Amino acid sequence: MSGLSELRLGFIPLTDCAPLIAAQAQGFFEDEGLAVELVREASWATVRDKVAVGALDGAHMLAPMALATAVEDSRSAVLAPLALNRNGSAITVSMALFEALGGMGADLAGPPPSAARLQALITERRARGDGPLTFAVVFPYSMHNYLLRYWLAQGGIDPDRDVRLVVIPPPRMVERMRAGEIDGFCVGAPWNAVAELEGIGRILAASSQLWPGGPDKVLGVSGLLAAQNPDELRALLRAVIRGAAWADAPENRDALIAHLAGPDRIEAAPSAIARALEHEVVFHRDAAGLPRREHALWFLSQMIRWGQIDANRDLEAIVDQVYRPDLYRDAALSLGPVLEPALIFPDAVEPVRARLFDGIPFDPAKARAYAESFTIARL
Amino acid sequence: MRVLVIDPDQVRAELVAEGLEGIEPLEVRHSALYDEAEVLSFAPDVVVIAAESPDRDTLDSLKESSHGHPVVMFVDRSEPGLAEQAVRAGVAAYVVDGLAPNRIRSILDVAMSRFALTRQLRSDLARAKADLESRKVVDRAKGLLMKERGLDEDGAYRLLRKLAMDRGKPIGVIAADLLAFAGVLKGDAS
Repeated sequence: MSGLSELRLGFIPLTDCAPLIAAQAQGFFEDEGLAVELVREASWATVRDKVAVGALDGAHMLAPMALATAVEDSRSAVLAPLALNRNGSAITVSMALFEALGGMGADLAGPPPSAARLQALITERRARGDGPLTFAVVFPYSMHNYLLRYWLAQGGIDPDRDVRLVVIPPPRMVERMRAGEIDGFCVGAPWNAVAELEGIGRILAASSQLWPGGPDKVLGVSGLLAAQNPDELRALLRAVIRGAAWADAPENRDALIAHLAGPDRIEAAPSAIARALEHEVVFHRDAAGLPRREHALWFLSQMIRWGQIDANRDLEAIVDQVYRPDLYRDAALSLGPVLEPALIFPDAVEPVRARLFDGIPFDPAKARAYAESFTIARL
Repeated sequence: MRVLVIDPDQVRAELVAEGLEGIEPLEVRHSALYDEAEVLSFAPDVVVIAAESPDRDTLDSLKESSHGHPVVMFVDRSEPGLAEQAVRAGVAAYVVDGLAPNRIRSILDVAMSRFALTRQLRSDLARAKADLESRKVVDRAKGLLMKERGLDEDGAYRLLRKLAMDRGKPIGVIAADLLAFAGVLKGDAS
């Protein structure tokens, strides 16, 4: 035996697992006394189940999925002591739909295109007797589901009535679009860039346009790990924070892409992986790793909006149980001399208010009222 | 009994069929991937899938919809302990240690009855909520009649009940109509 504490961590082939891959490749886990096995998983449902029962000690996880574990059964709730990334997802449509929309959305630098043009197309299709367009997201409890629904509804499209929404795991999105089964999807990097590179689809809007700096994945860990081995958890967080800082550094980008593109990792073209890393995904800077309560409350507001959870649930209690910025802060501050520049935590001064592309501010203290303010909703 | 086995490997479907031998009528279909059109046309009583299949997320997302199915997951021997832990935690009906034909029937039965129970509980809950909502609407309509017609509570309720009987509609619907019309008369467009 190596004398190191052994941990098993799961991930799904997506660019935002980079802090874990980087920590492994750079030896940060060993520095912290951990022998980590990274296991590539095939579905989010399996990741959730394995972390919940302790078959995995932690995993790359959809932030809303971690919250949903507490909604369903607080006894087996997963903790989110670290956010893995901001930005990186996008809405992509098939070439056929892109052309039918008149080539909208090609400018990823400006504001995102309105879905109103898509709404007009849906009306035309309905008049012709064509079937509904099919869009895919990665999981019901995901940033991707909420972002796509938000964008559609903002353009007057009811995501449950005017289009068909299905769930497909990330690595399968491109092949299902190639097969003509789906007209669009919202998924994390690199799969949008892969669709473009292969000439299958075009990116309509990046998540960094829909919600600049918006949250996405977290490191989900089993409650058991936190309760029984707090020192191991702290060591794990320190290693992943170092991995995130390393992955952010431009001078490491080529090495990072090589790690991510490798066998048993993402297995996508390096040029596709490079794309979202260039201007979008943030792993560490601006305290991106801090799991923010405001983000969790926004996710819960969307769960209420779309009828996934009862509006009368105690939202604060769910957030307090799952989101653990205290654990992040403790681990990050203990790295003080290791990480420069020093981390700052703007939320310690005042909560960050989310603002999506439509400019409507989200007040975390009024998540329920926000959920109830939308015309298109399933309350 | 119709069973759909989603697995790249044909062998598991054969194991399931062997374990269910004797059940009449029985149809065990094998599919390498989840295919929505096929699932809809076949309408399986239960779906058997490997815990390692990427199609799990699709099945999981259908759990709460009207076309969800009872799902049984099996775990390969490469994941020691997962099935036992999952069953203990009540996460899902994981099958222990691959698929053993002699246990298949009881496992599928448990999964199907658990699914039916969950569905029943969910519809009971929805009905209870609707009842509560309807009671609130009736109370508001009663209040309106008491104010506008100078009736007492009992009289207001009798009037609502008479309207409901005359029109052959549930009292909750009559009360909601009344409130909507009162809103229009007061200039409330919605």
